[in-house]
Amino acid sequence: MLNYIWGGLIVVSLIFALVGDIRDFAADTYRNGSALPVEVHFSDGYDNDARRQDIAVVLDSTVYRSLYASSDKPASRYDGILIQTERGRQLRFADGEKLPEPLATIRSSTSRRSDDLAGAVTGPEPPVGANQWTTAMQFEPVRWVKLNAIAQAAIEFAETAVTIALSLIGGLALWLGLLKIAEASGILYALVRLTQPLLRPLFPEVPDDHPAFGLIVLNLSANMLGLGNAATPLGIKAMQELQTLNPVPNTATNSMVMLLAMNTASVQIVPPVLLVAIMGLHVNQLFFSILITTTLSLIVAITAAKLLGRLRRYRASDPGATD
Amino acid sequence: MNILRLIIDYAAAFVLPLIIVGFPLYGMIRKVRVYEVFVEGAKEGFNVAITIIPYLVAILFAIAMFRASGALEFLIDGLRPVLSWINIPAEVIPMGIVRPLTGSGSAAIVLDMISQYGEDSILVKMAATMFGSTETTFYVIAVYFGAVHVRKTRHAVPAGLIADIFAMFAAVYVVLLLFG
Repeated sequence: MLNYIWGGLIVVSLIFALVGDIRDFAADTYRNGSALPVEVHFSDGYDNDARRQDIAVVLDSTVYRSLYASSDKPASRYDGILIQTERGRQLRFADGEKLPEPLATIRSSTSRRSDDLAGAVTGPEPPVGANQWTTAMQFEPVRWVKLNAIAQAAIEFAETAVTIALSLIGGLALWLGLLKIAEASGILYALVRLTQPLLRPLFPEVPDDHPAFGLIVLNLSANMLGLGNAATPLGIKAMQELQTLNPVPNTATNSMVMLLAMNTASVQIVPPVLLVAIMGLHVNQLFFSILITTTLSLIVAITAAKLLGRLRRYRASDPGATD
Repeated sequence: MNILRLIIDYAAAFVLPLIIVGFPLYGMIRKVRVYEVFVEGAKEGFNVAITIIPYLVAILFAIAMFRASGALEFLIDGLRPVLSWINIPAEVIPMGIVRPLTGSGSAAIVLDMISQYGEDSILVKMAATMFGSTETTFYVIAVYFGAVHVRKTRHAVPAGLIADIFAMFAAVYVVLLLFG
C-alpha cells in the first residue's frame, strides 16, 4: 500500500507541475517580455547622480489587472528603490512587500538574493528634480515555476527530515536510558503484570509477561497526556520489543500495526503541546470535543486494524501466521 | 467535570518529573547501578535516530512535492462539493486532508484560520479539534516502522487513514453538537 501511495505522490506531483507549467506557458500567465507600467514617486525629487534612491511605486489597479488578467488588487503604494548604474536603471520593490499575484510568483522565482522584486526600467529618464515619473518595469522571464518548485521542495524537505531525525537523538537517549533502568529495577515488569490483562485482547501475539506490554502502556499514556516528546521514544522502544517477536523482520506484525493505528488515532486527554502553543487558553473549551473525537477515532482505529488484519491479502503476509 | 479536568491537568504536569526522578530513585533502592545502566540504554538513542532518516526522507520529500505541485489544492477543491453535500464546511476540508500528511502544514492551517475567522469561530473549533484528536499518520509510520527497519507495512496505512477520515467527520459533528 505504502509503495503505491509513495509512488503515486511523486508521479502525480510531476504531472500536476507539468500541466500547471504548460497552462502558464499557454496563457502566458507571467506576461514574459511585456513591461509593467508603473508610476514612481520621489519624496525629495529625482537625483540623476544618486546610485540608489528610496522611492514609492504606484500600480494602477485597472492597468495591472488587465495586463495580467489577474483578480488580485495591488495595494495603493509600495516602498521601493531606484538603482542607477552604467548598465542602466533598475527598480526594486522593497524586501518583503506583500505583492499581488502574479508578481509574488515572479518575485519568488526570479529574486536571487532576498525577497525583493527587481525589474529593468525601460523608457526615458525622468527630469531632474521631478517628483513623479511614469515608466515601465521589465521583469526577467519566468518559466517552469512548478517544476522548479517541486524539485526545490524535495531537496528542502529531505534536509528537514534529517533535522527532525537528529533532533530526536537527545529525547531518545534520555528515554532509552530511563527505560533501561526501569527494566533492570523491575518497574517495567510490574507495569506489565498490571496492564497485560487489559492489553491482551489487542495484542494477542505478545506472550505473557513480555516487556512490550509495559512499553505500549507507557507510550499510550504519554500520548494521552499530550507529551509528544516522550511518546515517540517510548513508542519506538515498544516497536523494538515487538520486533523481537517478529520472525520476518522487514514486515509488520499484527501487533505492530495495532500499536501504530492506536498512535495515529492519538488518544489525547490533554491537547498536544503544539495546539496549546497556537491557541493558548482557547484550547480549554475544546477539551471535550477533542476527548470525544479522539476516543471515537481510537475505537475506529482499533476496529480497522483488527478487521483489515482478517482480510485474505493481509493474512497471507502475516509474519506471525502459522501455516 | 471540572474536577476531572483538574486531575488530568495535574497528572500531565507531574508525570514527567515523577518518571524522570522516580525510575532512577527506585533503581537505587533496588541496588541497580543506575548511572551505568542509564548510559548503556542511552547510547542506543543515536543509532535509532540515524536508522529513521531514510524512511523520514522518503515520506517527507514526497509529501512536500505533492504540496508544491498544486495537486493538494486540486484534491481539496475536488472534494469540496462532495463533502459540503454531507454538511462538512468547505473551510475545514484543507485541515482534514493535510492533517495526516504534515504536522507543520496543519499547524499553519490552524494559525491561518484563526487569523481569518477568529479564535472563537466554529470553523476554528472544528479544525483545532481535528488537529488535536489525530496524529500525522505518515510521519508516525516513517518514524515507528523506520526505527525497526519495517518496510512492508501491511494494513497500517489503511487502518491509520480510516481512523483519520473518521476523525475528520467526527470532529465536525462533535463540534456542531457541542457548540452549534
